[in-house]
Amino acid sequence: MLINMNICTRMNIYRGNTLDWTKREIYPFSAIVGQEKMTRALILNAISPSIGGLLIRGEKGTAKSTAVRGLAAILPEIKTVAGCPFNCDPDKYEYLCDECRKKIKQGIKLPVTKRKIKVVDLPLGATEDMVLGSLDFEHAVKKGETRFTPGLLAAAHRGILYIDEVNLLDDHIVDVILDAAGMGMNIVEREGVSCMHRSEFILIGTMNPEEGELRPQLLDRFGMCIQVEGIKDPGKRIRLIKRKERFDGNSSDFIAKFQGGQDELSQKIIRAKKRLSRVKISEKMIQLCSRLAIDAFVAGHRADIIMRKTAIAIASCGKREDVTEKEVNEAADLVLLHRVRMPPSPPQHQPDEKKEEPPSPPEEEKEPEKGEEKSETQNQQKTEKGKKEEEREGEEKDKEESEKGKPAGQSLEMVFPVGETFKTKRIQMERDRVLRKGSGRRSRTRSSSKAGRYIMSRMQRKTNDLALDATIRAAAPYQKQRIREGVAIAIEKSDIREKVREKRIGNFIVFVVDASGSMGAGKRMIETKGAILSLLLDVYQKRDKIAMIAFKGDHAEVLLPPTGSVELAHKLLEELPTGGKTPLCHGISLGYQIIQSNFRKDPDTYPLLILISDGRANVSQYGGKPLAEAMEMAEEIKNNTRINTAVVDVEKPGLISFGLAHQLSDQMGAKYFKIEDLKADTLVNALREDLLV
Amino acid sequence: MKNKNLTYPFTAIVGQETMKKTLILNAVNPKLGGVLIRGEKGTAKSTAVRALAALLPEIEVVDGCKFGCNPYKKASMCMECINRLNSGEELPVKKRKTRVVELPVGSTEDRVVGALDIERAIKKGEKRFEPGILAEANRGILYVDEVNLLDDHIVDVLLDSAAMGVNTIEREGVSYSHPAEFILIGTMNPEEGELRPQLLDRFGLCVHIEGIADIDERMEVVKRRASYENDPAGFKDAWKEEDEKLRNAVIRAKKLLEETVVSDDILRLIVQIAIEMNVDGHRADIIMMKAARTLAALDGRKNVTEEDVQTAADMALQHRMRRKPFQKQGVEEEKIAGIISHAHKHEHMHSHEHL
Repeated sequence: MLINMNICTRMNIYRGNTLDWTKREIYPFSAIVGQEKMTRALILNAISPSIGGLLIRGEKGTAKSTAVRGLAAILPEIKTVAGCPFNCDPDKYEYLCDECRKKIKQGIKLPVTKRKIKVVDLPLGATEDMVLGSLDFEHAVKKGETRFTPGLLAAAHRGILYIDEVNLLDDHIVDVILDAAGMGMNIVEREGVSCMHRSEFILIGTMNPEEGELRPQLLDRFGMCIQVEGIKDPGKRIRLIKRKERFDGNSSDFIAKFQGGQDELSQKIIRAKKRLSRVKISEKMIQLCSRLAIDAFVAGHRADIIMRKTAIAIASCGKREDVTEKEVNEAADLVLLHRVRMPPSPPQHQPDEKKEEPPSPPEEEKEPEKGEEKSETQNQQKTEKGKKEEEREGEEKDKEESEKGKPAGQSLEMVFPVGETFKTKRIQMERDRVLRKGSGRRSRTRSSSKAGRYIMSRMQRKTNDLALDATIRAAAPYQKQRIREGVAIAIEKSDIREKVREKRIGNFIVFVVDASGSMGAGKRMIETKGAILSLLLDVYQKRDKIAMIAFKGDHAEVLLPPTGSVELAHKLLEELPTGGKTPLCHGISLGYQIIQSNFRKDPDTYPLLILISDGRANVSQYGGKPLAEAMEMAEEIKNNTRINTAVVDVEKPGLISFGLAHQLSDQMGAKYFKIEDLKADTLVNALREDLLV
Repeated sequence: MKNKNLTYPFTAIVGQETMKKTLILNAVNPKLGGVLIRGEKGTAKSTAVRALAALLPEIEVVDGCKFGCNPYKKASMCMECINRLNSGEELPVKKRKTRVVELPVGSTEDRVVGALDIERAIKKGEKRFEPGILAEANRGILYVDEVNLLDDHIVDVLLDSAAMGVNTIEREGVSYSHPAEFILIGTMNPEEGELRPQLLDRFGLCVHIEGIADIDERMEVVKRRASYENDPAGFKDAWKEEDEKLRNAVIRAKKLLEETVVSDDILRLIVQIAIEMNVDGHRADIIMMKAARTLAALDGRKNVTEEDVQTAADMALQHRMRRKPFQKQGVEEEKIAGIISHAHKHEHMHSHEHL
């Protein structure tokens, strides 16, 4: 392990040592098979940068990243001030950086070069320093001057800022990017540097919704949003494999082969860019844009504006100089997907509510469900789901009845739909309140990694995370006595200060769900599923982690490994079958295990275990009495004081009541609820006391 | 760790044929994208991965380059090598073994991505960079034991560099990046938690392993282990020939790999399996075909058969399928077999029609 320790490298200032992956062998953009919508959206952004970026949502392995990386090669050129780290535009005096302005004042003519628009990659592990820029450390120590080293936001100015897996980005980095994107400017006031420079960029992000959703504010920053999925056509799939294999076999040959296509594309972009200013859009078409936006119940006016710009870009791309309905419709398709919301509906849902669906824009017709899931406000989403569930409930009843008529098979396994979620009105108010105080009051924790915000410095050395400003301050009083060897500031080991960082942490909620046969009686499972989903939606807003465990038959299973994705949870909930015996102890112990292993990964989480069951255990895990085993397990959890617990009793009143779940709850030291409490929405409120709001 | 020569020989591992096969396939074809080995404790997972190093063929590297750059591929070189090349220097070439670099679960971010030498920096005002594990793993194998217990932010870093083939470090206004292309091999015990889907998909192949049930084989495991512990050097010698044989087979297969052909019928079958098994995206198709080709090459054949596809599908699809709650394991294999035999029948019908 120690072999490589002494190999060190001299480093240059700025990004001199940064590999430029546009020069690396990248799969050519023009060789991408299928995914026309994605490639088109990317090209439109290249033609008209004011569209404001693109979010690509989709399953893994659908050429999302390949397309964005490939885009760099076909982008047009722009004029910049040569050698300016802030990528200044020489033609726009008011936007020049201080350096460039100084030069002009001194009468020096700015040297101008032409270069391709850059695609700047923002890695997930990026620190604030890296994004914003920071004090130039070498300069400070050697020359005793403060100088600013520009960060990624400077590098991305007038280019594309690309975030792969944007939904996994740390919240505080997202805040910083949103700030800059909103103002078109990056203002740094930290660590003894104060700097301000333009930062206008096209934001392109890719994400896999399975790993969690995006914050609404960030979502709205993307001009367009598209959904990609795997190609269904076998012929195209074959072509795709063949091309990929050829690329892997001999990449330079492959790239050379597609050079013609590449050149054609970049010419097309350049021509369309030139035509852009000549494209006219009629009053009528602008009206149509607004009409479509209103019909989709979008928030604010960004949709209208971007739709107009997109339609113009589409026309220009299609060598037209006027915008027709066709262009507007295509634009709507690209712009509205992540902005569509459901109509503001009355709090009580009536059965005929379904007919109230808005006259939908084209993409909504195609995939109404997806559009709905992407809607920014959760409560609206919820109403819609509630509606759907009501319908389905009806169907389910029929199915249930017909199933009862069947002869009893070896195992009666049924899949119940997800039940009604909570009253919309209540939740809405609740949400609203949480949202407002959300970002400020979340619990913070000291972070041991380099992620997180720099809050103070300390003398202890643990993380190798140098706090330069504090170190220099510590060294300052001794400068007179110390001997400086070729440096401006003599710093000794004892001066070194380290950064203490903090980051927000969330709750970790583990649902342990009873899926045994007894849950199938009545509408218990339907209600339970609805309750879980309500909780999940609440959790989502706060970016907590959730996991779900179900037990039935002879074992328990992790349905949902720790994740932030409600979409995935919903899907799994829908598919969860009910039936068989009740291995309660299995369920509880698996829940305990998953919490333990999460502790190992992230010791700072606040876990909450929610057990949803009637407590009628009848399968033993260790050969003892089933219920006694479960009780023992419960006690073990109680003894671990770091874990909060809650038990939701789903036993129906009116039947002969065993009260087993209540006993279990006492044994576990848990908060106890009855399923009816869910209806009154008290569960969420009560649990909220335990959660970090 | 001290004496690398005395790892347990690969060929001496009893049973666990599928696991061994996936590892060998990766040795033959590095583009397969690694293996995830899922299984209970004590099933020779780590032993096999460590032993794999001995089987790996030699690669040519730039002498003195700490990233082990390929001297013939400018597009994937580190900055130093590019600078040397640009200044007209001829890069010295050295042959060395492909490395298996281990990433311990408790690794700090600094250790993984590299770090700034702080003391030197403040004393001399010089920014020096200490390469981390990702630098060592360039063009080699990165082995993560208990990959499911890895810190989330380390996983993010891994995903980043696995996707780009580049590792970027940014500290105190210093930015540095270097190539980091590696084969990811991970082991995990599913009892201790699952893997994030995004990371899961980064593994080309996946195998499930269990302890051996056969009594004779179990006895053999114990016996071999005992004799290895008694005299590691002697044990290693005894298996030298076997290991040598396997290494030669790997080298042969590597050569043959480029000549393997995949007929359109086979391609159609692969695509059909991917569509019918409803996997996400296209990575599965690509990996299935690569694995099938590699299997054929390892078997000394140039043409890819249906059996190759079947085996490849079992390895490439397991972790990419969306399993419904409480669905039994093993249905996948049956379904794949079903699709293949169905396609087979179809083909026969077609050929009859042609006659």
